[in-house]
Amino acid sequence: MDTRHRVSLLFAFILTVVLLTGSSYAIPAFSRQYGTSCSTCHVDFPKLNDFGKAFKDAGFKFPKDDETFIKVPPVMLGAPAQKELWPHTIFPGVIPGLPPISLRFNQFFQVTSNNRNNFNAQLPAGTVGSFIPRTDFQPGLFSIFTGGNFGSDIAFWVDDDISVSGANANGGLGDAYLRFVNVGRFLKMPTDSLTLKVGQFELDLPFTQARGYDISPYDIYTQANIGAVNPAYPQQFVSNSFTLAGPGRGVELSGGHHYGGYRYAIAIVDQNTSGSPPTNYPNVPSGTGGNSGGVGFFSDSNFKDLYGRLAYRFNLERDPASRHEVQAAGATGPRDHTYLTLGTYYLYGRSVQRTSGFLPNGTTATVLTAREPFYRLGGDFDFNYRSLDIYGLYMYGHDNDVLPFIPAGLTGPTGFISGNPATFSGGFIQADYLVYPWMMTILRWDRVGSTADQLNGFLAGSSGAPSTPFFSPFSSVRNRFTPGVQFLIHANIKASFEYQVRPKQVVYAPGTTVQLVSPFRTNTATAALEFVY
Amino acid sequence: MKRSLVLAVLVMTAFVTSQAGTISGKVSGVAGESAVYVDTIQGKTFPAPSQQPVIDQKGLMFAPHIVVVQQGTTVEFLNSDSVAHNVFWISIGGNKKLGHNLGTWPKGEKRPFKFDNPGAVPLLCNVHPEMSGYVVVAPTPYSALTDKSGEYKIENVPDGSYTVTAWHEGAKNQSKPVTVAGDSKADFTLSK
Repeated sequence: MDTRHRVSLLFAFILTVVLLTGSSYAIPAFSRQYGTSCSTCHVDFPKLNDFGKAFKDAGFKFPKDDETFIKVPPVMLGAPAQKELWPHTIFPGVIPGLPPISLRFNQFFQVTSNNRNNFNAQLPAGTVGSFIPRTDFQPGLFSIFTGGNFGSDIAFWVDDDISVSGANANGGLGDAYLRFVNVGRFLKMPTDSLTLKVGQFELDLPFTQARGYDISPYDIYTQANIGAVNPAYPQQFVSNSFTLAGPGRGVELSGGHHYGGYRYAIAIVDQNTSGSPPTNYPNVPSGTGGNSGGVGFFSDSNFKDLYGRLAYRFNLERDPASRHEVQAAGATGPRDHTYLTLGTYYLYGRSVQRTSGFLPNGTTATVLTAREPFYRLGGDFDFNYRSLDIYGLYMYGHDNDVLPFIPAGLTGPTGFISGNPATFSGGFIQADYLVYPWMMTILRWDRVGSTADQLNGFLAGSSGAPSTPFFSPFSSVRNRFTPGVQFLIHANIKASFEYQVRPKQVVYAPGTTVQLVSPFRTNTATAALEFVY
Repeated sequence: MKRSLVLAVLVMTAFVTSQAGTISGKVSGVAGESAVYVDTIQGKTFPAPSQQPVIDQKGLMFAPHIVVVQQGTTVEFLNSDSVAHNVFWISIGGNKKLGHNLGTWPKGEKRPFKFDNPGAVPLLCNVHPEMSGYVVVAPTPYSALTDKSGEYKIENVPDGSYTVTAWHEGAKNQSKPVTVAGDSKADFTLSK
């Protein structure tokens, strides 16, 4: 990859970081339906308060007596008494009385540090290289999102980015699912101990990225595991583009509550470690036709990823009765609990690598398939006391490295042998302090350790693509410090600011480890303005 | 005969002076309900009423939205919602020293508060900022709430000269002198 591409990628990365902010949502549709403010459910939207968590857990409705709060009556799709006739009639449901549509737009202004064009140092003198501007105005996402409850505790959600960075139809489907809340009641299980979600959705991560409120995403969530280039074979054989922030397509079983007590989730989702849907299936019949909207396949292997999460939230109020309420009763009104959440999560998959090779006889050409098991494992905590919320997450990523075995005298492999696994680790710690109900300060530390990323940086610009968004990390550990502040102008309009102190990078002379410039940080300051309605 | 005449005059005088009139009229320039009340009457005090009106918190709203009470009235605040609320006000009649927080209480329970100071009390909930209600504390028992078209009628007002004030949320109060002699009229035009 030449320097121009790398610089373009740097710029694209910064832009992506900004845009991925991204998929943050508050739900005006619910405000309209219930005649209530965003702040009923949100602290500095889209960050949920305890009531918002209970509202979501309950299937986008009030946890108790929901019908008494709805200001726009739902449309009945069958009289309630029809239930008595089932199975001889369609079970009655409802749809929201107003189309539950909400829209969102955000925009950014970014200042990038003076060393932003350092990668041009790789170009021969006089060569016109890429140019990253000092300052830039950027349109962000224009998104539509819709959610609600169809009755019978069946919740729905769909969100889609209509345009990204000013380009129409350049967005994509975010989450889109049906959620069958408390289906455990049919099995006489305890209330809310079993809920089923089907569709495309963000995994039940300890801290959401899809509905995050920071301008920049968590680095560890976007960390792919690309192994170091294998000198004996002209490519990395660990090339796993899976990131935890990506959407999963499949089913999820979950139970418990986000506002107190236990919480678990088990998901079975499509595996796609190549990073893009497979397209080479012209003769393969699809299960869906054009009328159904889609004919694509999204898995790139038969195996399904397995994801599990278990957490427990200890509400620490002195009053025992208050601990089990959705919100704690403070002297001056209800507020979020003082709580400590401890959790763990685990994802297991198999990264499929296919390559041309030979049968053991060494003459018959064939396709060799390696299935490299990988997992992501970690723990998390979240401590909240009044206006202060401190939380963090650790992740360890491990990919088995199966290397092609090329016998002497052959031009291609006949099988595979085990190599050193590719691993990474890291996480983040963030502190949010609500100075006023309309002003929140944020301080975050992101850390990712990946020796492979550093090794690949040595080769950046000579052979092989840079393997990390930081292109040439100066060390195997990348630290990023991000102070920020967010202001609610109104409950649905937010101004945000972040300053990102990025990890050190270095620019090498192509094909060497000779540094062309001193290690530097491409820091950015980003201001965002967004509104939902 | 002379004695009877004097007695008749006294009875007539007593009848006339104790006769209650009405003040009626219309509040215009604003939409929705307004409060109209007879302002402080110099040298006159009124016993606190025994009735305790109730303001409910139901469906994320204060109901009724506006209550007009006499100074010294105890109002009971009920929570009929299954969600927690918090009732507070930052001032009474614009006096921020009279702000008060009633706190939070469970569904079905009431919490009383005696309003000893006249003026409008803007009720708020710090959990649901869209919730809005008003207690208008009148210094006299002579008050009324208009209907939605602005019409009002204050009954049983003794004949005399008073200052009558009209209040509407978000609008400037308007006061005017009114002489009550039987049925009297007083119209107000408020502006925001």
